[in-house]
Amino acid sequence: MTVVKAVTCPVCGCLCDDIELTVRNGRIIKVKNGCAMCEAKFLSHASDHRPTKSMIRREGKLVEVSLEEAVRKAAEILVDASYPVLYGWSSTSCEATKVGIELCEEIGGVIDNTAVVCHGPSILAVQQVGIPSCTLGQVRHRADLIIYWGCDPWSAHPRHIERYTAFSEGRFEKSAWRTYINKVKALVGSKKIESAIRRLAIKSWEPAVARVEKSPSQYLSREGRKLIVVDVRRTKTAEMADYFIQVEPGKDYELFKAMRALIRDQEIEVDRVAGVPVEYLEDVVDVMVSCDFGAIFFGLGLTMGSAKLKNIEEAIRLTRDLNMRTKFIIMPMRGHFNVAGANIVSTWETGYPFAVDFSLGYPRYNPGETSVVDILLRKESDAALVIASDPVSNFPHKASEHLVQKPLIVIDAHMNVTASMADVFIPAAMVGIEAEGTAYRMDHVPIPLKKVVDPPEGVFSDEEILRLILSEVRKIKKERMEAG
Amino acid sequence: MMIVLTPIREFKVPIFAECISPEVFEGKNIVQIGQLPVYEGNREKKLQELFKIEEAKTAEGVAEPAITIQGDVSKLKYIGAGMTKGEIVINGSVGMYLGEEMKGGKITVYGNAGGWAGSAMKGGTIEIHGDAGDYLAAPYRGSTQGMSGGKIIVYGNAGVDAGAYMRKGIIKVHGNAGQFVGVGMHDGVIYVKGNCDGRAGSCMTGGTIVISGFIESILPTFTFEGLKKKVKIEESEVVEVPLYLFIGDLTENGKGKLYVSKANNPQLYYYERFL
Ligand code: SF4
Repeated sequence: MTVVKAVTCPVCGCLCDDIELTVRNGRIIKVKNGCAMCEAKFLSHASDHRPTKSMIRREGKLVEVSLEEAVRKAAEILVDASYPVLYGWSSTSCEATKVGIELCEEIGGVIDNTAVVCHGPSILAVQQVGIPSCTLGQVRHRADLIIYWGCDPWSAHPRHIERYTAFSEGRFEKSAWRTYINKVKALVGSKKIESAIRRLAIKSWEPAVARVEKSPSQYLSREGRKLIVVDVRRTKTAEMADYFIQVEPGKDYELFKAMRALIRDQEIEVDRVAGVPVEYLEDVVDVMVSCDFGAIFFGLGLTMGSAKLKNIEEAIRLTRDLNMRTKFIIMPMRGHFNVAGANIVSTWETGYPFAVDFSLGYPRYNPGETSVVDILLRKESDAALVIASDPVSNFPHKASEHLVQKPLIVIDAHMNVTASMADVFIPAAMVGIEAEGTAYRMDHVPIPLKKVVDPPEGVFSDEEILRLILSEVRKIKKERMEAG
Repeated sequence: MMIVLTPIREFKVPIFAECISPEVFEGKNIVQIGQLPVYEGNREKKLQELFKIEEAKTAEGVAEPAITIQGDVSKLKYIGAGMTKGEIVINGSVGMYLGEEMKGGKITVYGNAGGWAGSAMKGGTIEIHGDAGDYLAAPYRGSTQGMSGGKIIVYGNAGVDAGAYMRKGIIKVHGNAGQFVGVGMHDGVIYVKGNCDGRAGSCMTGGTIVISGFIESILPTFTFEGLKKKVKIEESEVVEVPLYLFIGDLTENGKGKLYVSKANNPQLYYYERFL
């Protein structure tokens, strides 16, 4: 039995690198320090349902074949296609993405990562207006005001609050954990009082969930970090907040506009913006301009809201305006553990972070035109390679339909929905558990992923599989050239 | 001389057809035109592999080169990009970047147009008898140099971001427009006869937007300026109905004018208390 320390968790964009694993007989049996998602992922490597053999669809059924045969078939599909798409990349290593881009250039296809369905709009907004940001370490040690906008880290990035923001013990800023405990205790008390009132006077009782808090929590500490949450519903994270703004769904944009006007001392002619009274907004804006170092984290609630990239543009402009008065930064809450890495590798290789079209031989980029979902919706692609992703279960129905109608190659550690509809399936080792590599945290800090156990026999890493396909593609092209 | 192009088959993958432009065709005979390169996906093809190319007589005295396309070319991108003269008529729908950065001449589409039609155009006219896609006249991503001249008329609807970062010229949409009409515009005129999905004129610093139909709300960073009786769109066109006038966008220190019809927007009535 061995204990491996300082392992990086390959699940979400937090990339916690303090995980301790206990390994016995080539299997991980215990996970320490991680959250529930982390534990589930590390323990899944030894699942009995993992496919270990390559497969090809013959007469409608997936049948087992040798790796060489599967690679050959995949390469043929890619060479024959005139507009293939290569999609996924966010849950694999930077090294694999690099080979993927080489492959894409070789076959003249379109390479896109899952950013297109999560933080793609954020990237477009950054290209339009820039971004003032920093590393999570700085936030941990210095930020005295944290804002979570349109995201629920308590559920999606469970250790974000504890490791980097409100509840982390920084060098210059203390954890707000104790304040929160007090607040919870008080809340339990006030709930009891509330229910007593309800019992006594049912008719005159008002529901506890108002659109906004009428005033900040009375247990708000004068010192230490403060937490503001803006969301359409009262999430777990919102429960912990000092200020919670419940915004009308799809109206974040108006809220940003109003906040910016208030910061610039401009008058607003309406009483409510996005369902929030302007007076309450004034309070919140006051807290924002009077902090020493503020950090805004935003999630899919914003990027997938009705204004999409305009929401983020406005959020960044808000940060810019706040920087006239104090220090503020803004950062997207990246979901998959290496989606930031996929963007970074793509940028340094091609100049563009996602949705790169190589069909003309050189990289072109214009999301909306070269993004995979739009290509599929317009039914333009004629083959696809999906790696470490499950688009069929999260793309729009019409897009998935076109994806599976055309020849489809899937490389994945698990038999997900997309894989079960593939024409060629190649099982892969799990990056960060059975294969090493590099990943980028949401603040663009590269962190090494460890190989802790060996992959099942005959199973290779994404990078190795892609290299095999790439050299096979080159071989086929050469053969065809010689044959004229 | 007029060249008539008819698609030989249905197109599936995107085709880059920058060469379909009056200037490129000018002075070439049918054989030479047929040899012009286009990209179908990642394969280089010749124009004659995709189209039947014929020559038709134009009316006496018309010297300008002209192109007519008969059929659906919604997979073709960059038709008429950068053109400075002549005319293109498309009897069918057309793909993205129609007349991108065009400087002169005229394009008429009897069908729908894809996204970025008239992207960053500098002059000339585009008439779309069907619907226009998103980003009508908007520049390439990351750029703030939008349309700087010319005229676009859409008889159907327009998508989101019509006239983004516009600097000069006129856009008329007879149908409805999506969100963010005239976002970040500096100058020029946008006239939407139908309804508008909202957030019109966000971040505008100058220029004029006129909305004759319904718009749910005005952004909080616009101030109410008063009630106007009419507004001039161009020399030959004046809208003469009562209109609310808003000035903005304040967060960009903007002086843009946003006119909204009074009759179709009773929900904006409460602004009248400022009168
Ligand atoms: S917060 Fe994210 S990276 Fe950290 S342990 Fe949990 S799943 Fe892994």
